[in-house]
Amino acid sequence: MKKRQTLKILSVLLVLGLLLVTGCGTGTTKSGQTAGGPITVTFWHSMGGVPAKTLTSLIDKFNATHKDIQVKLVYQGSYDDAFNKLKASPDQGPDLFQVYDIGTRYMIDAGLATPMQNFIDQSKFDLSQFEPHVLHYYQVGGKLYSMPFNTSVPVLYYNKTMFKAAGLDPNKPPLTFAEVEKDAKALTATSGGKKVYGFSQAIYGWFFEQYLARDGALYVNNGNGRDKAATESLVNSPAGVQILTWWKKMIDDGVATNLGRQTSATQAAFGAQQIAMTIDSCGILPNLTTAAAGKFQIGIAPLPRGNDATDSGPIIGGGSLWILKNKPKAEQEAAWKVVQWLTQPAQMAAWTVGTGYLPINKAAVNEQTYKDFLAKYPSYQVALDQLHNTPENRVTEGGRIGVFTSARATVENAIEQVVLNKATPQAALDAAAKKITSAIQEYNQTMGIK
Amino acid sequence: MAREKPKPTPGSRSKSGVKAKGAKELAHALLYLGPSLILFLIFVFYPMVKTVYLSFYLTNPSGDPVVWKGVQAYLSLLGSGAFRNSVLVSFLFVLYTVPGTILASLLLAVLANVKLRGIGVYRTLYSLTIGVSVASAATIWMLLFSPADSGMLNYWLHLVGLPKIGWLVTTRSALPSLALMTVWMGVGFNFIVLMGGLQSLPEEIFESARIDGAGRWKQFRHITVPLLSPTLFFLLVVDTIAAFQSFGQFNILTLGGPDHSTNVIVYSIYREAFFNSRFGPASAQAVVLFVIILVLTLVQFGVVERKVHYQ
Repeated sequence: MKKRQTLKILSVLLVLGLLLVTGCGTGTTKSGQTAGGPITVTFWHSMGGVPAKTLTSLIDKFNATHKDIQVKLVYQGSYDDAFNKLKASPDQGPDLFQVYDIGTRYMIDAGLATPMQNFIDQSKFDLSQFEPHVLHYYQVGGKLYSMPFNTSVPVLYYNKTMFKAAGLDPNKPPLTFAEVEKDAKALTATSGGKKVYGFSQAIYGWFFEQYLARDGALYVNNGNGRDKAATESLVNSPAGVQILTWWKKMIDDGVATNLGRQTSATQAAFGAQQIAMTIDSCGILPNLTTAAAGKFQIGIAPLPRGNDATDSGPIIGGGSLWILKNKPKAEQEAAWKVVQWLTQPAQMAAWTVGTGYLPINKAAVNEQTYKDFLAKYPSYQVALDQLHNTPENRVTEGGRIGVFTSARATVENAIEQVVLNKATPQAALDAAAKKITSAIQEYNQTMGIK
Repeated sequence: MAREKPKPTPGSRSKSGVKAKGAKELAHALLYLGPSLILFLIFVFYPMVKTVYLSFYLTNPSGDPVVWKGVQAYLSLLGSGAFRNSVLVSFLFVLYTVPGTILASLLLAVLANVKLRGIGVYRTLYSLTIGVSVASAATIWMLLFSPADSGMLNYWLHLVGLPKIGWLVTTRSALPSLALMTVWMGVGFNFIVLMGGLQSLPEEIFESARIDGAGRWKQFRHITVPLLSPTLFFLLVVDTIAAFQSFGQFNILTLGGPDHSTNVIVYSIYREAFFNSRFGPASAQAVVLFVIILVLTLVQFGVVERKVHYQ
């Protein structure tokens, strides 16, 4: 009898243990709407630092003015972290999700979201006020799957004070690779045992993608993966080789320095006047201006182009907002209300002023807050002009592949190989293209894309 | 050689009685082990089996197995220069960190094992890094390692007139830089364990050694180290496994670069699984890493443990 009792206790314990363990997983699946109360919209985002504060204050304002909808902001770490979390368990996802630009294709292929276009059509939401270049990046077959939100373009930042000291015209920034190289040479100097370099840019795949587009070259075949699914990487085109040859030559000549992959390192070096020119997102202008305060003047120029490049322009970067489809209809509708509210001129102006991201709603520039911002940072207009001056075509719409994260990392490794003298630009990019192509084909195979 | 069966002593139980007792003991053992067994089953054994299973497939980005590949993932690992590089980098990392951490901690522990007023302050200082998470440590060291002039380490080098070092930016210095940071981080835990070991050594042995005229070095070499060898062996095994499994500093400081020079196996697995969404090949790498650590630990127990002096 005693033995049977022991077994009984044992089995009860086993079951209890199981319940305990599996219990951890449930409970968070449903967002726990309370009957009759306001609808809770869970909003996952990846904004850190100043942009996070700006987003929080915007959402606080939304919550204060909307009694029927309450938004719960959840910071999910980097774009990659948040994206991987959703990939791993789509059922545990939020209502509203901020995904980076290069996650667009996977989000569509995996069918995780309700297309934004459905909501737009149903409420006859006016998109004509939106920047067309930004819309084109996110549109697939004229259909918008997500709502563009935080958007940026890369620009050239230069130290006007150092330009003057080196005998260069501070109002004539370099526009081509050759001019950057020439100015970098003039700006490079050694003072007080410390070397000042004319130029430096972080080893960041996004820059390479932007240069490629600026030079009129595709990233992948089949119209950048927009006419039909891409099957082949084109990063080893002559334009790609030219970018890395230029990049490496300046480092070899000692007029540029390699500060690694972290953009924060080049930003710090620019602020400390260790480098005179750098490439970065237009979004960091407020930060750089703070770093330069009282020390030097900052100038902004469009992204430099390859010497013989035709008229083209950079793509965009940033993120967009997605409404996930496995949530109750009421929650999705509520999330749509949040999206509409966030993209209104007043909110967009506040967003730009607080973060440096572009005002993608054209009416935002008429808001007083934005006018004040522009008066404080007049050179910001260069970034917006660059967006407007970019012609619309397959190149400038940007590549669309489901394995962009790994492709970008592959290109970054190729840049490192070149900069650190491990391979020639052509060899490094050939190897990178091969690797990206096989990743694309494997993706197409496992996702059932023909 | 025929061995005689031990005769049952009078009064011993019958065979079936022994069996019943055994079953009862097993049930008891299971009862007490139950909770941890369940946790192990769910969080260790199930994922392990699943890992092996996935390694035979190509998965879609959500991790569902789609295409059966057999042992192809393993074969391509064998032929892959990138994976060989990862194995090499992992071993180098172990080599750079484990002896360094143990030696540095041993030195500090011996220094701190004197009876002085205020020695507690030093003991606390030396063990402080145990309270630092990898993420915070990596963030602190990111500022120290910064290649810009504002980087602390380069600033100090500049002050004493030495040339700048690329730290995390060049292929040659990235792994040693990470090892430096990892040693710093590991000293806290190793120091505490060694301190505990030192404190438990019997004072009389040292006293009689001193009477016999043994100097400090002789005492250290012939008494401290042999008596401490179980502790040192424990640290060797634990540190080696920890070094093989290090992840945070790679993820925060170098992302495996530049040019894969810090792409240890664990980071390569992470990258392959969660960035490239190739769960199959990533699982194959995980299985290989498991085998490497298993073999290495067996070797450590088989070879090194013979030199361990258990009291």
